[in-house]
Amino acid sequence: MVGFTALYLAFFVGYPVVYNLIMSVQDVTLGNIRYLVRPFVGLDNYAKLIADPLFTMVLQNTLLFVIGNVALQFLGGLALALFFQQPFPGASFFRGLILAGWILPPLVIGAVWKWLLASDNGVINYALHSLGLTSGPIYWLSDPATSLIGVTMANVWFGVPFNMILLSAGLAGVPRDIYEAAALDGAGPVRRFFAITLPLLRPTIYALLALSTIYTMRAFDLIWTMTHGGPVDSSNIFPVWAYRLSFELFDFGGGAAVSTMMLVVVFIVALIYVRSVRAEQLS
Amino acid sequence: MRRNFLKGTAALGALAVLGGRWPAQAADAITMWHIFGAETEPGLKNIKRWNETQAQQIDQKFVPFGQLSQQLIKGIATGDVPDLITIDNPVVASFATQDALEDLSDLVRASRVIKADQYYAGSWGTTVWNGKQYAVPGEANTLALYYNADMFKAKGLDPDKPPRTWAELRHAAEVLTDKEKKVFGTAFCAIQSEEGTFQFLPFLQQSGANLKTLTSPDAVAALQLWTDFVTNGLASRDVLVKRQFEMTSSWLAGGSAMVISGPWELQRMKDVKFNWRVATLPRREGRDIEASALGGYVWGVPKGARNKEAAFKVIEFMSEPAQMQQAWSGGRLAPVKTLQVESPAMPEAYATFKKQMEVAKPRGPHPRWPEISAAMQTAIQEALTGRSPPDAALQKASRVINPILERTPMVGL
Repeated sequence: MVGFTALYLAFFVGYPVVYNLIMSVQDVTLGNIRYLVRPFVGLDNYAKLIADPLFTMVLQNTLLFVIGNVALQFLGGLALALFFQQPFPGASFFRGLILAGWILPPLVIGAVWKWLLASDNGVINYALHSLGLTSGPIYWLSDPATSLIGVTMANVWFGVPFNMILLSAGLAGVPRDIYEAAALDGAGPVRRFFAITLPLLRPTIYALLALSTIYTMRAFDLIWTMTHGGPVDSSNIFPVWAYRLSFELFDFGGGAAVSTMMLVVVFIVALIYVRSVRAEQLS
Repeated sequence: MRRNFLKGTAALGALAVLGGRWPAQAADAITMWHIFGAETEPGLKNIKRWNETQAQQIDQKFVPFGQLSQQLIKGIATGDVPDLITIDNPVVASFATQDALEDLSDLVRASRVIKADQYYAGSWGTTVWNGKQYAVPGEANTLALYYNADMFKAKGLDPDKPPRTWAELRHAAEVLTDKEKKVFGTAFCAIQSEEGTFQFLPFLQQSGANLKTLTSPDAVAALQLWTDFVTNGLASRDVLVKRQFEMTSSWLAGGSAMVISGPWELQRMKDVKFNWRVATLPRREGRDIEASALGGYVWGVPKGARNKEAAFKVIEFMSEPAQMQQAWSGGRLAPVKTLQVESPAMPEAYATFKKQMEVAKPRGPHPRWPEISAAMQTAIQEALTGRSPPDAALQKASRVINPILERTPMVGL
């Protein structure tokens, strides 16, 4: 069992990671990309990236995008999970329906949200205007100040169902009788939520936050469809930058270096997750 | 577009089922990756015609236009390249200098079908790097001004007199803009991708400037024109994120009175409810330089292809007049200037695009074109978003582009 797992990991996870790492310290061109032996350039690719004026901006965008998405997806998912936990007719049917968003490919979601967020005839601007909330159009995607918010809205919509379903599963695992006992002791719904629900959900929440951080870190298709990382790179995040470097600018070493940086972040998140789960089991 | 997407998805699904392998094929089949997605594509008809008459079959695979480079790079990296591929013309020099394409010089020189002097100089130029022939033009396209004749009439403009100068374009855009009805006077594409550069270059060239003189008042005037369209509300701000086909869709839906786009959109014009026309791009007054963009795919043979000679025979077949004739029916122009299409569909549009083609200028050729283009995209977007004034944005771009051009000069600049 151990041997098989190790082999699987080495081949399907280890190989690409190592390949990417090797590429990130080499001078890779189309002419030598098919061989593994290429000129070694040390950390030049990384140094070039960090010196690039885009670096700070893309890093900042990535952090905002990931934190915003993970937080909002979690809150939205939790709210929906708690809502659908209430017994009402059709609860499970509607919960299933909400999952539809998670089933759609990101390309389609990107295209639909691009229509919704269009500044001149988009539904969202129309709704805001009709409700008297805005006086003029909001240039969601075409204003550098809001483009990241625009793509975040779409990605949150995309990720909420996934969060909801994991949290629903977690909620289902909380024994009913604890709530009943707490209710008898006089604990109100708010108290019950913070004293029972949240602590018992903790393992689910850790896993969920780790997973959704990783999912968000690689959101590419959605942003590519909606803004191409623009305007002026205001919605450019690491995966988009890595794609542009490798496949548009043919800077394969640079693209690999960006991917490695992403990997480090994901690795740290995974490490925190494993640690916290272990701490949970010990306590 | 949707059909392309569906096809792509289906192909991906099939690929997954087959475990990443295409169905078993005759060992000597000529493998081809191409961009012919729609069923009406003349390219597909031509492939079929070849397969019906030749023993050695073409084994073809569709790759969406935007993914061509990516697919070819993946193929090169894994040693799984086709014998023949359609490549976007501005990246030929990049692939060629990085030793990813076969040198076709001898084959082209010996060819009886492919004659350099019969092609548009711009188109042909994109396939040559350092005196060697790395590809053969397969198609040419360019940009022109589509306009809604009904809207012209409604606003008191003469639909038979489309704007001929920048001033007339600006005036028409002002008159045609209708805030009540949510109609923008004009539209173009300034997205942060190659499409944005593609659309802006004609204006830069008409201004009298070029990529080496980005800090000149002429270059600034060109970018100022675009910037004014957006800041004065004559064009939607969404030009910054919408692709060319999306801007055209918006024009088709009545969102704008004019739009700059190419002949590939003519397919969609068949069911248009309003009267539409297409005119050559307006020129800058006092300069009278006619220019337009030069797009299109070229045929290339990737390094490592197993059937180079056979692949070249296919290129020759595709370059014969009988096959080239078909191009227009798919909204493409033949890159051969001597070719006459008899009784073309949409004859007025054909005449306009053909005329525009004669002044179309290539992007590059330059091995570092993608970097040059990226710097241009940033400049355009900085100016249109108001991040920096056009002159500052262009100065920044020239600080990136000039050193590149000093190291490796660009032919024709």
